[in-house]
Amino acid sequence: MGNETVKFTVNGKGVSLEVEPGDMLVDVLRERLGLTGTKAGCREGECGVCSVIMNGTLVASCILPIKKAEGATILTIEGLEANRELHLVQKHFIDNGAIQCGFCTPAMVLAGKALLDKNPRPTREEIQLAISGILCRCTGYQKIIKAIDSASKSGKRGEV
Amino acid sequence: MQFSGNVAYTKKREWEGYLMPRTLSEALSLLEEFKGEARIIAGGTDLVVQNRGGSMQTKGLVDITRIPGLDGITLDKDTIRIGCLVTHTKVTESLLIREKAMALSESASRLGSPQIRNMGTVAGNIVNAQPGADTTIPLLALDASVKVVSKGGERVIPLTELFTGVGKTRIDSTREIVTEISFPALRGNESSASFRLAKRRALVLPILTVAVALSADVKKKRFNSARIAVGPVAVTPMRCTEAEKVLAGSPINEEIIRKSAATAAAAANPRTSLIRGTKEYRQAMVAILVEKAIKLALERLEGHHGQ
Repeated sequence: MGNETVKFTVNGKGVSLEVEPGDMLVDVLRERLGLTGTKAGCREGECGVCSVIMNGTLVASCILPIKKAEGATILTIEGLEANRELHLVQKHFIDNGAIQCGFCTPAMVLAGKALLDKNPRPTREEIQLAISGILCRCTGYQKIIKAIDSASKSGKRGEV
Repeated sequence: MQFSGNVAYTKKREWEGYLMPRTLSEALSLLEEFKGEARIIAGGTDLVVQNRGGSMQTKGLVDITRIPGLDGITLDKDTIRIGCLVTHTKVTESLLIREKAMALSESASRLGSPQIRNMGTVAGNIVNAQPGADTTIPLLALDASVKVVSKGGERVIPLTELFTGVGKTRIDSTREIVTEISFPALRGNESSASFRLAKRRALVLPILTVAVALSADVKKKRFNSARIAVGPVAVTPMRCTEAEKVLAGSPINEEIIRKSAATAAAAANPRTSLIRGTKEYRQAMVAILVEKAIKLALERLEGHHGQ
Protein backbone atom coordinates (compact mmCIF):
# COMPACT_ATOMS: atom_id res chain seq x y z
CA MET A 1 0.00 0.00 0.00
CA GLY A 2 2.48 2.59 1.10
CA ASN A 3 6.10 2.94 1.95
CA GLU A 4 6.12 4.41 5.44
CA THR A 5 4.56 3.42 8.73
CA VAL A 6 2.57 5.81 10.83
CA LYS A 7 1.15 5.11 14.29
CA PHE A 8 -1.48 7.15 16.05
CA THR A 9 -4.55 6.86 18.25
CA VAL A 10 -7.97 7.42 16.78
CA ASN A 11 -11.07 7.39 18.95
CA GLY A 12 -9.15 5.68 21.72
CA LYS A 13 -7.73 2.88 19.59
CA GLY A 14 -4.13 2.62 18.49
CA VAL A 15 -3.57 2.13 14.77
CA SER A 16 -0.48 1.38 12.74
CA LEU A 17 -0.68 1.85 8.98
CA GLU A 18 1.49 1.74 5.91
CA VAL A 19 1.05 5.06 4.15
CA GLU A 20 2.50 7.16 1.37
CA PRO A 21 4.05 10.49 2.38
CA GLY A 22 1.62 12.47 0.23
CA ASP A 23 -1.51 11.01 1.84
CA MET A 24 -3.76 13.43 3.73
CA LEU A 25 -5.28 12.48 7.08
CA VAL A 26 -8.85 12.80 5.76
CA ASP A 27 -8.29 10.07 3.16
CA VAL A 28 -6.60 7.74 5.62
CA LEU A 29 -9.52 8.18 8.04
CA ARG A 30 -12.17 7.65 5.36
CA GLU A 31 -10.62 5.07 3.06
CA ARG A 32 -8.26 3.08 5.24
CA LEU A 33 -10.10 3.21 8.55
CA GLY A 34 -13.67 3.45 7.24
CA LEU A 35 -14.37 6.54 9.34
CA THR A 36 -16.53 8.26 6.75
CA GLY A 37 -18.15 10.62 9.24
CA THR A 38 -15.28 12.98 8.46
CA LYS A 39 -16.08 14.57 5.10
CA ALA A 40 -13.84 15.76 2.29
CA GLY A 41 -15.14 18.97 0.75
CA CYS A 42 -12.94 21.63 -0.79
CA ARG A 43 -9.68 19.81 -0.05
CA GLU A 44 -7.93 23.10 0.58
CA GLY A 45 -8.80 23.90 4.17
CA GLU A 46 -11.48 26.39 3.22
CA CYS A 47 -14.77 24.67 4.02
CA GLY A 48 -13.94 22.89 7.27
CA VAL A 49 -16.10 19.76 6.84
CA CYS A 50 -12.95 17.65 7.23
CA SER A 51 -12.38 18.98 10.76
CA VAL A 52 -11.23 16.56 13.44
CA ILE A 53 -9.80 17.11 16.90
CA MET A 54 -6.08 16.35 17.04
CA ASN A 55 -4.33 16.57 20.40
CA GLY A 56 -7.20 18.68 21.71
CA THR A 57 -7.40 21.22 18.89
CA LEU A 58 -9.60 21.45 15.84
CA VAL A 59 -7.67 20.91 12.59
CA ALA A 60 -8.52 20.61 8.90
CA SER A 61 -7.67 16.98 8.04
CA CYS A 62 -7.77 17.58 4.27
CA ILE A 63 -4.55 19.62 4.38
CA LEU A 64 -2.90 17.60 7.12
CA PRO A 65 -0.12 15.37 5.76
CA ILE A 66 -0.52 11.95 7.37
CA LYS A 67 2.96 11.96 8.91
CA LYS A 68 1.86 14.84 11.12
CA ALA A 69 -0.50 12.38 12.81
CA GLU A 70 2.45 10.29 14.04
CA GLY A 71 1.97 9.78 17.78
CA ALA A 72 -1.11 12.01 17.84
CA THR A 73 -4.46 11.47 19.52
CA ILE A 74 -7.28 12.00 17.07
CA LEU A 75 -10.99 12.25 17.73
CA THR A 76 -13.52 11.94 14.92
CA ILE A 77 -17.30 12.13 15.10
CA GLU A 78 -17.43 8.32 15.44
CA GLY A 79 -15.52 8.53 18.72
CA LEU A 80 -17.78 11.04 20.39
CA GLU A 81 -20.40 8.74 21.88
CA ALA A 82 -19.47 6.90 25.05
CA ASN A 83 -21.14 3.80 26.49
CA ARG A 84 -23.68 3.83 23.67
CA GLU A 85 -24.73 7.31 24.64
CA LEU A 86 -24.42 10.33 22.41
CA HIS A 87 -22.25 13.26 23.45
CA LEU A 88 -24.06 16.24 24.95
CA VAL A 89 -23.41 18.38 21.87
CA GLN A 90 -24.81 15.65 19.62
CA LYS A 91 -27.98 15.43 21.73
CA HIS A 92 -28.53 19.16 21.53
CA PHE A 93 -28.01 19.16 17.76
CA ILE A 94 -30.85 16.62 17.55
CA ASP A 95 -33.09 18.43 20.04
CA ASN A 96 -32.64 21.73 18.18
CA GLY A 97 -32.99 20.28 14.69
CA ALA A 98 -29.56 21.65 13.89
CA ILE A 99 -29.14 19.30 10.95
CA GLN A 100 -30.23 19.72 7.36
CA CYS A 101 -28.25 17.82 4.73
CA GLY A 102 -25.80 16.66 7.40
CA PHE A 103 -22.62 17.20 5.41
CA CYS A 104 -21.14 19.75 7.82
CA THR A 105 -22.70 18.24 10.96
CA PRO A 106 -19.76 16.08 12.11
CA ALA A 107 -17.42 19.07 11.84
CA MET A 108 -19.90 21.42 13.52
CA VAL A 109 -20.40 19.00 16.42
CA LEU A 110 -16.65 18.58 16.87
CA ALA A 111 -16.16 22.37 16.72
CA GLY A 112 -18.81 22.68 19.44
CA LYS A 113 -17.11 20.07 21.58
CA ALA A 114 -13.66 21.64 21.09
CA LEU A 115 -15.11 24.98 22.15
CA LEU A 116 -16.93 23.70 25.24
CA ASP A 117 -13.86 21.75 26.38
CA LYS A 118 -11.95 25.05 26.56
CA ASN A 119 -14.78 27.41 27.35
CA PRO A 120 -17.81 25.74 29.01
CA ARG A 121 -19.99 28.87 28.93
CA PRO A 122 -19.26 30.64 25.65
CA THR A 123 -21.04 33.77 24.49
CA ARG A 124 -22.98 33.72 21.21
CA GLU A 125 -20.09 35.59 19.60
CA GLU A 126 -17.63 32.95 20.80
CA ILE A 127 -19.82 30.18 19.40
CA GLN A 128 -20.01 31.97 16.04
CA LEU A 129 -16.24 32.31 16.05
CA ALA A 130 -15.75 28.63 16.93
CA ILE A 131 -17.77 27.45 13.92
CA SER A 132 -16.57 30.20 11.57
CA GLY A 133 -14.20 27.81 9.80
CA ILE A 134 -16.97 25.46 8.71
CA LEU A 135 -19.26 26.10 5.81
CA CYS A 136 -22.88 24.94 6.20
CA ARG A 137 -24.08 24.49 2.62
CA CYS A 138 -27.70 24.68 3.81
CA THR A 139 -27.01 27.96 5.67
CA GLY A 140 -28.51 26.50 8.82
CA TYR A 141 -26.22 28.37 11.18
CA GLN A 142 -28.85 29.71 13.58
CA LYS A 143 -29.89 26.30 14.84
CA ILE A 144 -26.30 25.13 15.03
CA ILE A 145 -25.44 28.12 17.22
CA LYS A 146 -28.56 27.45 19.31
CA ALA A 147 -27.62 23.79 19.73
CA ILE A 148 -24.11 24.58 21.01
CA ASP A 149 -25.54 27.31 23.22
CA SER A 150 -28.16 25.01 24.75
CA ALA A 151 -25.55 22.26 25.27
CA SER A 152 -23.40 24.77 27.17
CA LYS A 153 -26.32 25.81 29.33
CA SER A 154 -27.61 22.31 30.07
CA GLY A 155 -25.50 22.13 33.19
CA LYS A 156 -23.87 18.85 32.25
CA ARG A 157 -20.48 18.42 30.72
CA GLY A 158 -19.80 16.00 27.89
CA GLU A 159 -17.41 13.22 28.81
CA VAL A 160 -15.12 11.93 26.14
CA MET B 1 -12.74 12.99 -19.44
CA GLN B 2 -9.77 15.20 -18.66
CA PHE B 3 -9.84 17.92 -16.05
CA SER B 4 -6.38 19.20 -16.79
CA GLY B 5 -7.02 22.69 -15.49
CA ASN B 6 -8.67 21.60 -12.30
CA VAL B 7 -6.36 20.29 -9.64
CA ALA B 8 -8.63 20.94 -6.68
CA TYR B 9 -9.57 17.30 -6.24
CA THR B 10 -6.09 15.82 -6.36
CA LYS B 11 -5.97 13.77 -3.20
CA LYS B 12 -2.37 12.74 -2.96
CA ARG B 13 0.64 14.97 -3.16
CA GLU B 14 3.57 13.65 -5.18
CA TRP B 15 6.11 13.76 -2.39
CA GLU B 16 8.87 11.16 -2.41
CA GLY B 17 9.83 11.78 1.17
CA TYR B 18 8.30 13.40 4.22
CA LEU B 19 10.91 13.70 6.91
CA MET B 20 10.59 14.69 10.53
CA PRO B 21 13.98 15.70 11.91
CA ARG B 22 14.42 16.16 15.67
CA THR B 23 17.12 18.82 15.51
CA LEU B 24 17.76 21.94 13.46
CA SER B 25 21.09 20.67 12.14
CA GLU B 26 19.42 17.43 11.03
CA ALA B 27 16.80 19.50 9.19
CA LEU B 28 19.50 21.57 7.45
CA SER B 29 21.34 18.38 6.42
CA LEU B 30 18.16 16.95 4.95
CA LEU B 31 17.64 20.10 2.88
CA GLU B 32 21.19 19.66 1.61
CA GLU B 33 20.61 16.01 0.70
CA PHE B 34 17.65 16.91 -1.48
CA LYS B 35 19.84 19.36 -3.43
CA GLY B 36 17.28 22.11 -3.67
CA GLU B 37 14.28 19.85 -4.28
CA ALA B 38 12.99 19.83 -0.71
CA ARG B 39 11.16 22.47 1.24
CA ILE B 40 10.48 23.15 4.87
CA ILE B 41 6.96 22.47 6.13
CA ALA B 42 5.58 23.65 9.48
CA GLY B 43 1.81 24.17 9.67
CA GLY B 44 1.46 23.39 5.99
CA THR B 45 -1.69 25.48 5.51
CA ASP B 46 -0.21 27.29 2.51
CA LEU B 47 2.30 24.74 1.25
CA VAL B 48 -0.04 21.73 1.13
CA VAL B 49 -2.59 23.73 -0.86
CA GLN B 50 0.10 25.06 -3.23
CA ASN B 51 1.37 21.51 -3.75
CA ARG B 52 -1.84 20.11 -5.21
CA GLY B 53 -0.16 19.80 -8.55
CA GLY B 54 1.30 22.03 -11.18
CA SER B 55 3.37 24.82 -9.74
CA MET B 56 5.33 24.63 -6.50
CA GLN B 57 5.78 20.86 -6.69
CA THR B 58 8.49 19.57 -4.45
CA LYS B 59 10.15 16.19 -4.04
CA GLY B 60 10.79 16.16 -0.35
CA LEU B 61 9.35 17.85 2.67
CA VAL B 62 11.26 18.50 5.84
CA ASP B 63 8.73 18.87 8.67
CA ILE B 64 10.24 20.94 11.47
CA THR B 65 7.33 20.72 13.90
CA ARG B 66 8.97 18.02 16.04
CA ILE B 67 12.11 20.03 16.70
CA PRO B 68 12.04 21.13 20.35
CA GLY B 69 12.56 24.71 21.49
CA LEU B 70 11.09 26.53 18.52
CA ASP B 71 7.57 27.16 19.83
CA GLY B 72 8.10 29.80 22.50
CA ILE B 73 6.96 33.39 22.88
CA THR B 74 9.36 35.15 25.22
CA LEU B 75 10.32 38.58 26.45
CA ASP B 76 14.11 38.77 26.40
CA LYS B 77 15.04 42.12 28.01
CA ASP B 78 13.08 44.50 25.75
CA THR B 79 12.81 42.14 22.80
CA ILE B 80 9.90 39.84 22.05
CA ARG B 81 10.96 36.57 20.44
CA ILE B 82 8.51 34.31 18.66
CA GLY B 83 9.74 30.84 17.69
CA CYS B 84 9.11 29.65 14.16
CA LEU B 85 6.63 26.98 15.29
CA VAL B 86 4.33 29.41 17.11
CA THR B 87 0.83 29.18 15.63
CA HIS B 88 -1.60 32.02 15.09
CA THR B 89 -3.76 30.63 17.89
CA LYS B 90 -0.83 30.74 20.29
CA VAL B 91 -0.06 34.35 19.35
CA THR B 92 -3.72 35.29 19.72
CA GLU B 93 -3.91 33.76 23.19
CA SER B 94 -0.58 35.18 24.40
CA LEU B 95 -1.01 37.80 27.11
CA LEU B 96 2.49 39.07 26.43
CA ILE B 97 1.63 39.79 22.79
CA ARG B 98 -1.67 41.38 23.81
CA GLU B 99 0.12 43.68 26.24
CA LYS B 100 3.19 44.52 24.19
CA ALA B 101 2.12 44.09 20.56
CA MET B 102 -1.66 44.34 20.34
CA ALA B 103 -1.69 44.88 16.56
CA LEU B 104 -0.12 41.44 16.06
CA SER B 105 -2.54 39.80 18.47
CA GLU B 106 -5.61 41.18 16.74
CA SER B 107 -4.28 40.46 13.25
CA ALA B 108 -3.44 36.85 14.12
CA SER B 109 -6.94 36.41 15.54
CA ARG B 110 -8.49 37.38 12.19
CA LEU B 111 -6.42 35.15 9.91
CA GLY B 112 -8.09 32.25 8.11
CA SER B 113 -10.28 30.26 10.48
CA PRO B 114 -9.87 28.57 13.88
CA GLN B 115 -8.57 25.43 12.16
CA ILE B 116 -6.06 27.37 10.04
CA ARG B 117 -4.94 29.38 13.09
CA ASN B 118 -4.45 26.14 15.04
CA MET B 119 -2.21 24.73 12.30
CA GLY B 120 -0.47 27.64 10.58
CA THR B 121 2.55 29.48 11.95
CA VAL B 122 3.41 33.17 11.97
CA ALA B 123 6.84 32.39 10.49
CA GLY B 124 5.15 30.51 7.65
CA ASN B 125 2.89 33.47 7.02
CA ILE B 126 5.99 35.67 6.63
CA VAL B 127 7.97 33.23 4.48
CA ASN B 128 5.02 32.71 2.14
CA ALA B 129 5.50 36.41 1.35
CA GLN B 130 2.02 37.41 0.27
CA PRO B 131 1.73 41.22 0.13
CA GLY B 132 -1.35 41.22 2.35
CA ALA B 133 -0.22 38.53 4.81
CA ASP B 134 -2.20 39.11 8.00
CA THR B 135 0.63 38.85 10.49
CA THR B 136 3.36 40.37 8.31
CA ILE B 137 1.62 43.75 8.18
CA PRO B 138 1.58 44.30 12.00
CA LEU B 139 5.07 42.82 12.27
CA LEU B 140 6.30 45.40 9.76
CA ALA B 141 4.72 48.13 11.89
CA LEU B 142 6.39 46.61 14.96
CA ASP B 143 9.77 46.74 13.20
CA ALA B 144 10.31 42.98 13.31
CA SER B 145 13.18 40.92 11.94
CA VAL B 146 13.58 37.23 11.21
CA LYS B 147 16.50 35.04 12.16
CA VAL B 148 17.54 32.79 9.29
CA VAL B 149 19.74 29.77 9.94
CA SER B 150 21.74 27.77 7.42
CA LYS B 151 24.71 25.41 7.48
CA GLY B 152 26.93 28.44 7.03
CA GLY B 153 25.65 30.24 10.11
CA GLU B 154 22.84 32.63 10.85
CA ARG B 155 21.72 36.08 9.81
CA VAL B 156 19.03 38.48 10.89
CA ILE B 157 16.95 40.15 8.19
CA PRO B 158 14.62 43.06 8.97
CA LEU B 159 11.17 42.57 7.41
CA THR B 160 11.66 45.88 5.59
CA GLU B 161 14.43 44.18 3.56
CA LEU B 162 13.01 40.66 3.36
CA PHE B 163 10.51 40.77 0.53
CA THR B 164 11.48 40.93 -3.14
CA GLY B 165 8.17 40.21 -4.88
CA VAL B 166 4.87 38.39 -4.59
CA GLY B 167 5.72 35.13 -2.80
CA LYS B 168 9.43 35.97 -2.92
CA THR B 169 11.93 36.73 -0.17
CA ARG B 170 15.68 36.90 0.33
CA ILE B 171 15.46 33.57 2.14
CA ASP B 172 16.80 30.61 0.17
CA SER B 173 14.18 28.09 1.22
CA THR B 174 16.17 25.20 -0.27
CA ARG B 175 18.90 25.61 2.34
CA GLU B 176 17.77 28.10 4.99
CA ILE B 177 15.26 27.98 7.85
CA VAL B 178 13.61 30.88 9.66
CA THR B 179 13.90 30.02 13.34
CA GLU B 180 12.68 33.16 15.07
CA ILE B 181 10.84 36.45 14.69
CA SER B 182 11.90 39.28 16.98
CA PHE B 183 10.87 42.87 17.60
CA PRO B 184 11.13 45.48 20.35
CA ALA B 185 8.33 45.21 22.93
CA LEU B 186 6.26 48.37 22.97
CA ARG B 187 7.06 50.68 25.88
CA GLY B 188 4.84 52.84 28.06
CA ASN B 189 4.49 55.67 25.55
CA GLU B 190 3.93 53.34 22.61
CA SER B 191 0.94 51.45 21.29
CA SER B 192 -0.31 49.66 18.19
CA ALA B 193 -3.50 48.75 16.35
CA SER B 194 -4.57 46.96 13.20
CA PHE B 195 -7.63 46.70 10.97
CA ARG B 196 -8.69 44.19 8.38
CA LEU B 197 -11.23 44.79 5.64
CA ALA B 198 -12.75 41.63 4.17
CA LYS B 199 -16.02 40.38 2.73
CA ARG B 200 -16.66 38.15 5.70
CA ARG B 201 -14.96 37.45 9.00
CA ALA B 202 -13.54 34.02 8.27
CA LEU B 203 -11.79 32.21 5.45
CA VAL B 204 -11.39 35.11 3.08
CA LEU B 205 -8.29 36.94 1.98
CA PRO B 206 -8.16 40.53 3.13
CA ILE B 207 -9.29 43.32 0.79
CA LEU B 208 -6.93 45.42 2.88
CA THR B 209 -5.05 45.08 6.11
CA VAL B 210 -3.33 47.93 7.93
CA ALA B 211 -1.32 48.25 11.11
CA VAL B 212 0.10 51.18 13.05
CA ALA B 213 2.63 51.31 15.87
CA LEU B 214 3.24 54.71 17.36
CA SER B 215 5.01 56.57 20.10
CA ALA B 216 3.36 59.67 21.52
CA ASP B 217 3.27 62.02 24.47
CA VAL B 218 -0.44 62.14 25.23
CA LYS B 219 -0.07 64.87 27.86
CA LYS B 220 1.75 67.20 25.50
CA LYS B 221 -0.54 66.02 22.69
CA ARG B 222 2.34 65.21 20.37
CA PHE B 223 3.35 62.22 18.25
CA ASN B 224 6.97 61.19 18.69
CA SER B 225 7.14 58.73 15.81
CA ALA B 226 5.09 56.10 14.01
CA ARG B 227 5.34 53.10 11.75
CA ILE B 228 2.50 52.32 9.34
CA ALA B 229 2.17 49.19 7.20
CA VAL B 230 -0.44 48.33 4.58
CA GLY B 231 -1.18 45.37 2.32
CA PRO B 232 -1.93 44.15 -0.27
CA VAL B 233 -1.30 47.40 -2.12
CA ALA B 234 2.00 46.62 -3.83
CA VAL B 235 4.00 43.51 -4.80
CA THR B 236 5.38 43.30 -1.28
CA PRO B 237 3.94 44.18 2.14
CA MET B 238 4.42 47.93 2.35
CA ARG B 239 5.66 50.43 4.94
CA CYS B 240 4.24 53.92 4.42
CA THR B 241 7.31 55.96 5.31
CA GLU B 242 6.00 59.28 4.00
CA ALA B 243 2.82 58.93 6.06
CA GLU B 244 4.98 58.11 9.09
CA LYS B 245 6.93 61.34 8.60
CA VAL B 246 3.70 63.33 8.71
CA LEU B 247 3.08 62.10 12.26
CA ALA B 248 6.66 62.29 13.56
CA GLY B 249 6.99 65.25 15.92
CA SER B 250 3.58 66.62 14.97
CA PRO B 251 0.76 67.64 17.31
CA ILE B 252 -1.99 65.09 17.86
CA ASN B 253 -5.00 66.47 16.04
CA GLU B 254 -7.58 65.49 13.45
CA GLU B 255 -5.86 67.35 10.64
CA ILE B 256 -2.48 65.66 11.12
CA ILE B 257 -4.05 62.21 11.43
CA ARG B 258 -6.06 62.74 8.23
CA LYS B 259 -3.02 64.07 6.42
CA SER B 260 -0.99 61.03 7.40
CA ALA B 261 -3.79 58.68 6.33
CA ALA B 262 -4.14 60.47 2.97
CA THR B 263 -0.38 60.23 2.45
CA ALA B 264 -0.53 56.48 3.09
CA ALA B 265 -3.36 56.15 0.56
CA ALA B 266 -1.40 58.13 -2.02
CA ALA B 267 1.56 55.76 -1.65
CA ALA B 268 -0.63 52.67 -1.97
CA ASN B 269 -1.01 51.18 -5.41
CA PRO B 270 -3.69 48.50 -5.12
CA ARG B 271 -4.97 46.66 -8.17
CA THR B 272 -8.55 46.32 -9.26
CA SER B 273 -9.45 42.74 -8.48
CA LEU B 274 -12.60 40.67 -8.71
CA ILE B 275 -12.18 39.38 -5.18
CA ARG B 276 -10.85 42.57 -3.62
CA GLY B 277 -12.73 45.38 -5.36
CA THR B 278 -11.62 48.33 -7.46
CA LYS B 279 -8.38 50.23 -7.15
CA GLU B 280 -10.29 53.45 -6.35
CA TYR B 281 -12.32 51.86 -3.56
CA ARG B 282 -9.32 50.17 -2.02
CA GLN B 283 -7.17 53.29 -2.17
CA ALA B 284 -9.92 55.33 -0.49
CA MET B 285 -10.23 52.64 2.17
CA VAL B 286 -6.49 52.75 2.95
CA ALA B 287 -6.97 56.31 4.22
CA ILE B 288 -9.98 55.35 6.31
CA LEU B 289 -8.34 52.30 7.87
CA VAL B 290 -5.05 54.08 8.60
CA GLU B 291 -6.98 56.89 10.28
CA LYS B 292 -8.93 54.38 12.36
CA ALA B 293 -5.76 52.51 13.32
CA ILE B 294 -3.95 55.69 14.42
CA LYS B 295 -6.97 56.70 16.51
CA LEU B 296 -7.33 53.26 18.08
CA ALA B 297 -3.62 53.17 18.93
CA LEU B 298 -3.96 56.59 20.58
CA GLU B 299 -7.02 55.42 22.51
CA ARG B 300 -5.02 52.46 23.78
CA LEU B 301 -2.21 54.74 24.84
CA GLU B 302 -4.60 56.93 26.82
CA GLY B 303 -6.53 53.99 28.27
CA HIS B 304 -3.48 51.86 29.08
CA HIS B 305 -5.28 48.64 28.25
CA GLY B 306 -3.07 46.79 25.82
CA GLN B 307 -0.50 48.31 23.51
